[in-house]
Amino acid sequence: MRKEIEKQLPEVKLIPEKWVDRYGDYLFNFTISRVNDPIMAQDLVSETFLAGLKSAHRFKGNSTERTWLISILKRKIIDYYRKINSNKGKAEVRMSYLTNSDQEGDWMEEKAADLRNPNVEDMIEQKELSDVLEECIACLPERYATIFVQKTIDNLETETICKEHNITASNLWVIIHRARVQLMECLNNKWHKNS
Amino acid sequence: MSRFFINCDQASILSTREQYGDLNPKEAFRHQLHRGHCIGCRSFHKNNQRFQRKLKSLKWVALTIAQKQSIKKCLVEAMTK
Repeated sequence: MRKEIEKQLPEVKLIPEKWVDRYGDYLFNFTISRVNDPIMAQDLVSETFLAGLKSAHRFKGNSTERTWLISILKRKIIDYYRKINSNKGKAEVRMSYLTNSDQEGDWMEEKAADLRNPNVEDMIEQKELSDVLEECIACLPERYATIFVQKTIDNLETETICKEHNITASNLWVIIHRARVQLMECLNNKWHKNS
Repeated sequence: MSRFFINCDQASILSTREQYGDLNPKEAFRHQLHRGHCIGCRSFHKNNQRFQRKLKSLKWVALTIAQKQSIKKCLVEAMTK
């Protein structure tokens, strides 16, 4: 029975040539909100694509290309934090802090956020909101998510997106509209009910 | 008359397009006219605007063209190996 269902499912094929254009910005946003370092974020995104290429033969098509890449990226981010939290990593961070700064003082105290500062509160809220929104975008059908991200986040021209996806402008607006309605509902459920 | 009056489905699409500044003056007028008598669409439009403000308040970052090219180069090299 399961085999019959699997046969009926459309086969998802990987297209590595289009990964950077399709998912580059999305993965970069996802990473930067977690590592807060643009150079490291770029490296992690690049490593994710390379790891995806290496393990492409293991991709069974059970999830979408984007979900699969995100799962690889999550593991890369965990590895990154493991590395910097190892004793050697901590020593490296401390060394670079001391060599880059003339100031003396307690390292932890200076690095820790001042929660009374309203900017910090805003930043935390923004971070939480963008995390929830990323989760919600991940729940959208892949086509909706890609088109929504291209129009709203990447600010691409309507014509460019229509050409890429071979759709009319009115189709594009219907897709964006449906994506937004789903995102608003998702945000209502996950964000507003928690806050 | 049908040139001026639109249904709720059309109005909700116009509301979304308005968030991206995509409406021409005629469409903006039709949308405003519809909102004038439709409570549901007025409420949807408000929520849509609120959602757009939230999206704008988030700091979206994107890879620069140079960064994308550098990643593409690495990928192409790995693919040709």
